[in-house]
Amino acid sequence: MRLPSVTVLAAATLVGSASAALAHHSFAMFDQENSIELDGIVQEFKYTNPHSYLLLEVRGDDGSAVVWNLEGQAPSILSRDGWSKESLRPGDHVLVTIDPLRSGAPGGSWNLRRIKFKDGRPVVVTP
Amino acid sequence: MRYAGSIVTAVLAVMLAVLALSSAHAFDESRYDDLAGQWRLGPPAKWDPSKPPGRGQQPPLTPEYQAIFEASLADQAAGGQGNDPTYTCISDGMPRAMNVVFPIEIVVLPKITYIMFEYQGMLRRIYTDGRDWPKDEDASFMGYSIGRWIDETGSGRYSVLEIETRNMKGPRAFEPSGIPLHSDNQTVVHERMYLDKANPDILHDEITTIDHALTRPWTVNKSYQRERNPIWIEAVCNEANPHLRIGKENYMLSADGYLMPAKKNQQPPDLRYFRQSAK
Repeated sequence: MRLPSVTVLAAATLVGSASAALAHHSFAMFDQENSIELDGIVQEFKYTNPHSYLLLEVRGDDGSAVVWNLEGQAPSILSRDGWSKESLRPGDHVLVTIDPLRSGAPGGSWNLRRIKFKDGRPVVVTP
Repeated sequence: MRYAGSIVTAVLAVMLAVLALSSAHAFDESRYDDLAGQWRLGPPAKWDPSKPPGRGQQPPLTPEYQAIFEASLADQAAGGQGNDPTYTCISDGMPRAMNVVFPIEIVVLPKITYIMFEYQGMLRRIYTDGRDWPKDEDASFMGYSIGRWIDETGSGRYSVLEIETRNMKGPRAFEPSGIPLHSDNQTVVHERMYLDKANPDILHDEITTIDHALTRPWTVNKSYQRERNPIWIEAVCNEANPHLRIGKENYMLSADGYLMPAKKNQQPPDLRYFRQSAK
């Protein structure tokens, strides 16, 4: 199975330091200079502290599916922006910009500023 | 019955005297600045908040430890973890804990002050009862802290907590880029903690680290913001942590629980202790 095609963002430098800004440990394994956009279906949203995890099923051009393990911000940060464990549910269709693992394996990091529903709605409406 | 009444009066008088005596020893919290609530700083986890992260921190390292730091940066550029040990959920230890990436709560009592960290339930005990350093205390990540309250303005109210912390163990680093502390773990940390004079919802911590990896004491100033209506969320790092170390390499677990390489062209781990099945 080959990995799904993803979009490499030309504006990656604009969000280059996003991952580093959300971690208590090094996020160096995630390539912050070559962000990509994933179009996928939420399989699970682990609302765990000190990091949340988004398991996202992404289909490739050949129809095969890969589930990405995406490390995100802590609930102690997300909750201040109105997020909860119910903000993302299995089956939700989202677009998310991630910093992928440097190895090319299906892992990466994301943050709340870089995710929206496929139809363009924000995941959480912040005041 | 007048006689019985005087006995009751005498007993009540004794009880009140005992009560008054015990109140004299009760904790008078009005003698301390109010540190209640939640204190936040949050990411990014820079050691010196006034400088850029990584090499921009300009840590005053000895040549030997500058080389260790440079190696850490190079490894991280390739996707490794360098000199940062915390991805396996090991405790931050001191002084890194005071980066306060996750919020803290400070509880002041007459003989001890507790700093309780949301992250991993880490705890600092700062003894303010005048004790001396213990002789045979086992080293710990957070170290052993002795503090002293100071009434700096002469107002009858304690406003500054001075803390010295020793007897830490490693591995520790100052922050995520892996600025090292010496492997001899002889670190000594001095702190001055006090509320901002203009804004009591800001707490300052002046932290000076003395360590054999440094050419001179390194002082940074951190300012934490108070949240008076806090949300506390349990933070158990191992609950979902996908990062692991095998040998000297770091890897990540996939969504379905299998090992993934973290670095480009990284080899699988050594499986020498597994029985190799015939193919």
